Amino acid sequence: MKLDPRTKLFLAIVVNSVILSAPPVYSVLMFAVPAILLLFEKKWKFVLAFFSLYLAAVLGFEHLKTMDVGRVGTLAVSTMMIVSRMMPITIVLYYVMQTTKANEFMAGMSRMHVPNKVTIPLTVMIRFFPTVFDESRAIGNAMKMRGIRLFSLQTLKNPFAILEYRLIPLLVSITKIGDELSVAALTRALTPEAKRTCIVPIGFHVQDLVVFAYCIAVVVLFLLRPVS
Amino acid sequence: MPNVKTTGKKSSNTLVRDLVNVGIFAALYIVLAFLSSSVGYIPALIVFSTGSIALVTSIPLFLFFSKIERSILCCLIFCGFFGTAMFVMGQGILMLSISLLVGLLAGVALKVFGKGFAGLFSANIILCLMSSSMMLPLWTSTEEYLEYTRTMCDAGYVAKLAELSQSPWPLVAIYAFGILGAVVGGFIARRVMKKHFERIGLAK
Amino acid sequence: MKISFKNVSFSYTDSIDDAIIKDINLQIESGECVVLAGESGSGKTTISKLINGLIPLYQSGTMAGDVLLGDKNTADMTLAEISKYVGSVFQNPRSQFFNVDTDSEIAFGCENLGVEPEEIRRRIDKTVKDFHLESLLGRNIFHLSGGEKQKIACASVNATDPDIFVLDEPSANLDLKTVDDLAEIIKLWKSRGKTVVVVEHRLHYLRDVADRIVYVKDGRVECEWTPAELEAKGPEYAASLGLRSIKLVQLGGARATASESQGESITFRNLKFSYQKKFPILDIPELSLPKGKITALLGHNGAGKSTLAQLVCGLRGSWSQKRAARKLGTYLIMQDVNHQLFTESVLDEVLLGMHPKDETAAFEILESLNLKNYAEKHPMALSGGQKQRVAIASGVSSNRNLIVFDEPTSGLDYRQMLAVSATLKALANRGKTLFVITHDPELVLNCCHHVIRMDHGRIVEEYSL
Repeated sequence: MKLDPRTKLFLAIVVNSVILSAPPVYSVLMFAVPAILLLFEKKWKFVLAFFSLYLAAVLGFEHLKTMDVGRVGTLAVSTMMIVSRMMPITIVLYYVMQTTKANEFMAGMSRMHVPNKVTIPLTVMIRFFPTVFDESRAIGNAMKMRGIRLFSLQTLKNPFAILEYRLIPLLVSITKIGDELSVAALTRALTPEAKRTCIVPIGFHVQDLVVFAYCIAVVVLFLLRPVS
Repeated sequence: MPNVKTTGKKSSNTLVRDLVNVGIFAALYIVLAFLSSSVGYIPALIVFSTGSIALVTSIPLFLFFSKIERSILCCLIFCGFFGTAMFVMGQGILMLSISLLVGLLAGVALKVFGKGFAGLFSANIILCLMSSSMMLPLWTSTEEYLEYTRTMCDAGYVAKLAELSQSPWPLVAIYAFGILGAVVGGFIARRVMKKHFERIGLAK
Repeated sequence: MKISFKNVSFSYTDSIDDAIIKDINLQIESGECVVLAGESGSGKTTISKLINGLIPLYQSGTMAGDVLLGDKNTADMTLAEISKYVGSVFQNPRSQFFNVDTDSEIAFGCENLGVEPEEIRRRIDKTVKDFHLESLLGRNIFHLSGGEKQKIACASVNATDPDIFVLDEPSANLDLKTVDDLAEIIKLWKSRGKTVVVVEHRLHYLRDVADRIVYVKDGRVECEWTPAELEAKGPEYAASLGLRSIKLVQLGGARATASESQGESITFRNLKFSYQKKFPILDIPELSLPKGKITALLGHNGAGKSTLAQLVCGLRGSWSQKRAARKLGTYLIMQDVNHQLFTESVLDEVLLGMHPKDETAAFEILESLNLKNYAEKHPMALSGGQKQRVAIASGVSSNRNLIVFDEPTSGLDYRQMLAVSATLKALANRGKTLFVITHDPELVLNCCHHVIRMDHGRIVEEYSL
């Protein structure tokens, strides 16, 4: 089941704005969409794990919220709440990230008349999140090996030093990767003026219409809900 | 020697470099902003979270500002991404508009004051207004925001927020700490630029 | 397509007097495969940038003379136009892809040029068949090994069907098996009449495919040979010019049977690691490293070498393994040493791990690693080899006994390799135990005492040299 990248964008925005401001019923109605779509992608393991965790967090919260659980308990309860609230966002983003290729995304954006000046950095940004974490992990390893820790006498003496130790190698290596990436992109004809083609055909189909209609229906339901 | 010419001045090619830099630094900024704003989950430290974001992101922002050539365009896209990310995460359209405005102003500041310390410093302070605005809805649309956080966080936290929203002073404090963070961060960043990046040759 | 350099000089500064390339005249004929060899800093990479148009169109600097592709001057073209004729592959596989999945990455160049989707798909199918990439399709590039990434980079360039291929140290991060695959790809290009220019230190894999080896020194073309001519002059001649051996150095002749326990050794037991229980990445019941000696760890990309290094250094594995590593005092010199330099001067870097801080001792360590004159310099502003020595110095100063190196000679020329080898020997003489992950047989022959070969997470061979 393939959706047009524009549909996915719409889905992501609607789902997230509804989830964060509506009672749980509506958010379940909403994130059922990416869950079903993920089942089409044969990601049933992820969906299963997601739902078990979500149920655990929601039920745990419902069960505990009225009890007096003390200071630590409150922290646990609020964590559960945050988890149950943020999880629907992750499933949508996971779905979009898993199924949308960079070229599809760029093609979708250019169909919406978003200029290349915006799409190019946006594509780079999406590709760069894993790199930031990879580099940061390698630097963390090196710090561990050197015995530089977040909590130690040395750090207390100069709290900004830890910021420097962490950020400077990171900035040096990602700017270097950035420079090399620009060069690689330029030698492969990426220019802001280019009219790109895309090997993945994009366009609206029945499934896009269904998703659009469903999302709008839920939003209307939500807006017309009886206010207590 | 015959026909000696300077090279690399063709604008469309440096534009790609600028755009790639925007993408890279936006990714880094978003990651850092989310990590450093987590300070605000402890109710007593809510007002400091904006300061911590501004402090931590100052160093990468200084480097970003000094690397880009088209100040206004790059700052606008950069802030637009952050605003859109916040918008997708459920913050209102107000946040997106503020982000774009901040981006424009930061770009103009860089253009007017140049790439010296004055320009970088002022752009950094302007930019911190963007991350500091994340809590603005608590005052502009108090009820909706409380409703929104009520579903996110526990009652004690919301009560704390409700208490904060009663007077305008915490809002002033949030911005003040944000700006303070950007000022302190700016001075640290200047030192880091001199001590590290200029000596490595990453910045002039 | 023919490439001609006409009196070309280039400088990275505003003045042509600082030129790194000086008055080069070079003609590369259509269908030729030319290797640009020379020591680091000789200007050979600059020559490759002149061919793919990054100079004069992107790199800022000062240039004199003209570079012609066919009869077109690169200065009058745009980079997008040049990319139709010239395809480039770079050294670092992790920073040259734009997409997250392999299929889109192969299509990327074609899409930018606006080639019709049907045509792109036809080209991808052909490229996949030619390069045997079936198993790499539809994968996440972040999960590929360096060699696989480099193959995808070649495939992506191939899909745009240029007449000229420029490869800038493509083998720097590759193992011997993948290097052979790369040689096959170059052969294929040549058989189709493409012009191939390779900037490279490692020459052995190009022996059968290169038509000419152009030796660049101090920004000038010093001399040229065919591979056979260079080979005939003998390995000493190549070494005296700072070139790597053109014949693949074999370890076979020199090996002795693994001698049983002469002297003490550091022993690790039960080194196991897996992401999923069923598929162990690493399964080594016992690993012993002779004390005060240099042990080389060989094996293909993906054989589990880096995982082993991380386990030994306590960066992975169980809590007790980590504690054992800390107690023993292990230190890893990473392949990208930029990750492990933190401070603003070389001296500070050495003092950082020292307890108590002792400047005289620090200077002594710096002296022994030829870094004394750089004590006040910023570590990241140094050259690659110097950075590596700073990282070593920081390991020595924090009193580590076992130092593990991850590919210390990737992308180094002969002289730099010898320098690394000398450093390793000096460390062993100080009583340190060294464990070196490498693909570099010349390094192994030069300094290692003991060799361990790994495959699929197990030790398959051990011998002494």
